[in-house]
Amino acid sequence: MNAEFKLFNISKSYGQREVLNIDNLEIGGGRIYCILGPNGAGKTTLFRIMSLLTLNDTGKMHILGEEVTWQKSQVVRLRRQMAMVTQTSFMFEGSVYYNVAYGLRVRKTAAAEEKRIVNESLELLGMMDFINQQARNLSGGERQKVAIARALAVKPRVLFLDEPTSNIDPASALDIEHYIQYINKEMGTTIIMVTHNLFQARRLSEEIFFMWEGRIIEKGETQKLFDNAQDKRTRSFIKGEIVF
Amino acid sequence: MDVIWQGLKEGFLLIVAMDPELVHITLLSIQVSVSALLLAAIMGIPLGTVLALKEFPGRKTLLNITYTFMGLPPVLAGLLVFLFLSTSGPFGYFQLMFTPTAMIIAQVLLGFPIVCGLTARAVMAQPQEVFDTAATLGATRRQASWAIIRESRMGIIAALTTALGRLIAEVGAVMMVGGNIKGETRVLTTSIVLETRMGNDSSALAIGMVLLLIAFLIMLLILSLEKRTFTDERRIQIV
Repeated sequence: MNAEFKLFNISKSYGQREVLNIDNLEIGGGRIYCILGPNGAGKTTLFRIMSLLTLNDTGKMHILGEEVTWQKSQVVRLRRQMAMVTQTSFMFEGSVYYNVAYGLRVRKTAAAEEKRIVNESLELLGMMDFINQQARNLSGGERQKVAIARALAVKPRVLFLDEPTSNIDPASALDIEHYIQYINKEMGTTIIMVTHNLFQARRLSEEIFFMWEGRIIEKGETQKLFDNAQDKRTRSFIKGEIVF
Repeated sequence: MDVIWQGLKEGFLLIVAMDPELVHITLLSIQVSVSALLLAAIMGIPLGTVLALKEFPGRKTLLNITYTFMGLPPVLAGLLVFLFLSTSGPFGYFQLMFTPTAMIIAQVLLGFPIVCGLTARAVMAQPQEVFDTAATLGATRRQASWAIIRESRMGIIAALTTALGRLIAEVGAVMMVGGNIKGETRVLTTSIVLETRMGNDSSALAIGMVLLLIAFLIMLLILSLEKRTFTDERRIQIV
């Protein structure tokens, strides 16, 4: 399968501080990929560049078969094939229905179709009972489920998950992990996630990219990387010696 | 205290009797201030949004000028409009001095920086996540900007109520460019000044009561819009 993401010499600096420097990164498709690393490793910056939310300073990117030129129409076209769920799962002011329908409305989906997809997405996440509630009044776990339903409603080819369970209770976290696996296996959506949680990375992902000070220092199949990491920094992180 | 009681009594009677002159003055006050508010909103909300969201040279200077003009003294606004509209001014040809139009222009000058400045603040107060969420759900830049404005609407409504409060109670500018002409440009605030100068304190108080009532009703109307859009009214709970 062709890579969904190809990055060459991508760098990003804020002032004098370089936060990202990726020589070469290829992410295929159809699997659950995990970007792992300590705080300040550049995971979120990489995530934002890949999801076209932050401009890279240097380098070239191919996303979903297109070389990224950052033309407005191209950015929107590519973004419409992706979706993102963040750890804070920001909710727009309004009902759960409004939030889940948002991505469909910006695509000018017909009202009947919109209703059908919103219901279907909420049903899948077990959130139908909340459809008319104010989204901002929900608990962290419920909001996260709505955020996933909202992302699924637009049928993305790639789903980005930024620390999707870091702010929620363990039971809801397990629930969400179950949905992540379902979305990947049953719907064929490529999932790229950032997490601090080693156990979660091991449970969910099939391939891991380990980041350190803005660079990818090791990558490989999850099990292999956990069993036999080559880089001592990766090994330290996996052993829990680096806890930040 | 007698003057106050007398004023309250007179005010009540004036409202109940629907005195024709008072009705005319009241309607003109509403017409001038609401027209000025609408014009200030039509220009101020989009410009405030652009100032908050677009990066361009001179943006910060423009913002600072807007904030400074939020404190524009009404008499100075009146003077500026006077200089432009008087017969010797560049727009003297239109003969707008001492008309309600001139009063509206002067009030737009006062209301516009408030609506624009407070809209900019409300939009800038939104977190980056609003744009990110809209964009990652496929919104174009225009659609994402609209989402940011939508999220800022409580602040924008606050901008409108603040501007209205300033306009409806303003006297210096309308007096200068309107001239307080009976039956033509006399409004509630200029009537209060006139009655006070004539020593009719209780009448001035009575008209003041009417002014407060009108302000209350218009605010209620604006706030009802807010309530309709904010079914989820969140307050910080202090326990």
